[in-house]
Amino acid sequence: MPASRFGSLIRAVATDVHFWIPFSVLLGGLVLLDKLR
Amino acid sequence: MSTSHERLQPPKLSVVQTPFESSRLRRLQALGIFCGFAAGAWLGGAEAPIKLINADISPVTVSLVMVCGVFLARWSVPALIRGTSHVRTDVGQAPHLVVWAILAGCMWAVANTLTIYAIRNVGLSIAFPLWNTNSLLGIFWGFLLFHELRLAGWKRWAGVLGGAVCMFAGAALLAIASSHQAAPGRATLGVAAALGAGILWGTMYIPYRKAYLTGMNPLSFITFFTVGELLTMVVVAVAYRGATPLWRELNAAKPVLFWLMLGGLVWVLGDLFQQYATKYVGISRGIPLSNTNQLWGLLWGILVFHELKGGTHTVYAQVAGGSLLMAAGAVAIALSSATEQEHSSWRNAAAREGERYGVEHEYVRAGMEGRSFDNRQDSRTLLDWLLILGTTALFILLASMARLPAMDISIGWGLALSLAMLALLAAGGIVLWRTTRFR
Repeated sequence: MPASRFGSLIRAVATDVHFWIPFSVLLGGLVLLDKLR
Repeated sequence: MSTSHERLQPPKLSVVQTPFESSRLRRLQALGIFCGFAAGAWLGGAEAPIKLINADISPVTVSLVMVCGVFLARWSVPALIRGTSHVRTDVGQAPHLVVWAILAGCMWAVANTLTIYAIRNVGLSIAFPLWNTNSLLGIFWGFLLFHELRLAGWKRWAGVLGGAVCMFAGAALLAIASSHQAAPGRATLGVAAALGAGILWGTMYIPYRKAYLTGMNPLSFITFFTVGELLTMVVVAVAYRGATPLWRELNAAKPVLFWLMLGGLVWVLGDLFQQYATKYVGISRGIPLSNTNQLWGLLWGILVFHELKGGTHTVYAQVAGGSLLMAAGAVAIALSSATEQEHSSWRNAAAREGERYGVEHEYVRAGMEGRSFDNRQDSRTLLDWLLILGTTALFILLASMARLPAMDISIGWGLALSLAMLALLAAGGIVLWRTTRFR
């Protein structure tokens, strides 16, 4: 994949609020899992 | 050759947003509903091999071995069905979906491990209904982010939401009925784990819907999804157990590795149906339908493993009432398929996704319609045959080491349920092939 296209892709994902919702939930899940150990 | 700048130009919305032929839309909706029910059968059936495992293996190790089976199946099943060459084509068209698929896989692995802790701390009766709230969350995200149920009319709203609530109540009753196996423990942490799993699974459907709105083939999506699953599970297992104790435990578990990997394989087939259901009827309908897996799990438990033997009338009443509620909820959702107006909202969401990620509008449109984008015929490669033969050989090797534990099992009922699942698999395979060629 050309670097410019890769950069556009990362920018598009990083500025998509739809990405941050599941990502935040995943982080929350990992924190919870750590508390359950 | 187009540049990245050209690729990010907005697609011609009219192509993505043009209405489908109504007969095609109806066929795709019926296909999605059928896949939702087939997913329930296979996801429920995946519980059966796990019941053959004794309790002295740690939950994290159980989860890790299952995920290894899942990983192999998620690569070899697509290789068998269509060959993996089409994965390259899909990634070339929509590379952002690799990120979404891996993210979804990580979420699945964490949620699955949380359910094990939930069952251990509060028992199945409390844990199952709590994490089953994932379908209600799925409806919420489907409505909020992907325009599902917009312009659907109050009848369809009532059908989907009422059906999901009915299924939730049914699931609660069924879980209470089967609760005699579970021991309550650290309540707060257990409830938090179950709710956490529900939130993770319910939110995991955002990446699913994202992928299918932009035309991804489920067979491609799952190959990257499973990378997230395996990486997360390996990290969690090594961090929790330690590398050397984990290795020792895996060696000691040789006689049961086959059953765990088989559970993973069966689960993958169920999940594949779930992916097709999500693609063609959306998350607000596909997920509640595949949650009928609890009914199938219960059938395996009662008929094959004699789990409610000697139960009271109250228990049987709870089972009957819970099953009827779940079935009624599923039927209500199945009868509430999307209208052309609602589907136009889906196409608007698809156009938005295509615009953001610079996906060719013809590709998005073809994916939504379940037809070929470039009429390319991918044949199987040497890698595909290696995947198929390697996975088969490993399963045969593990089967040769497997031991069936001394349990009171009804082989006849086991065969009958397996035949019913295989019939659904064959019917689903034929319909998917005829309607979409597994797209």
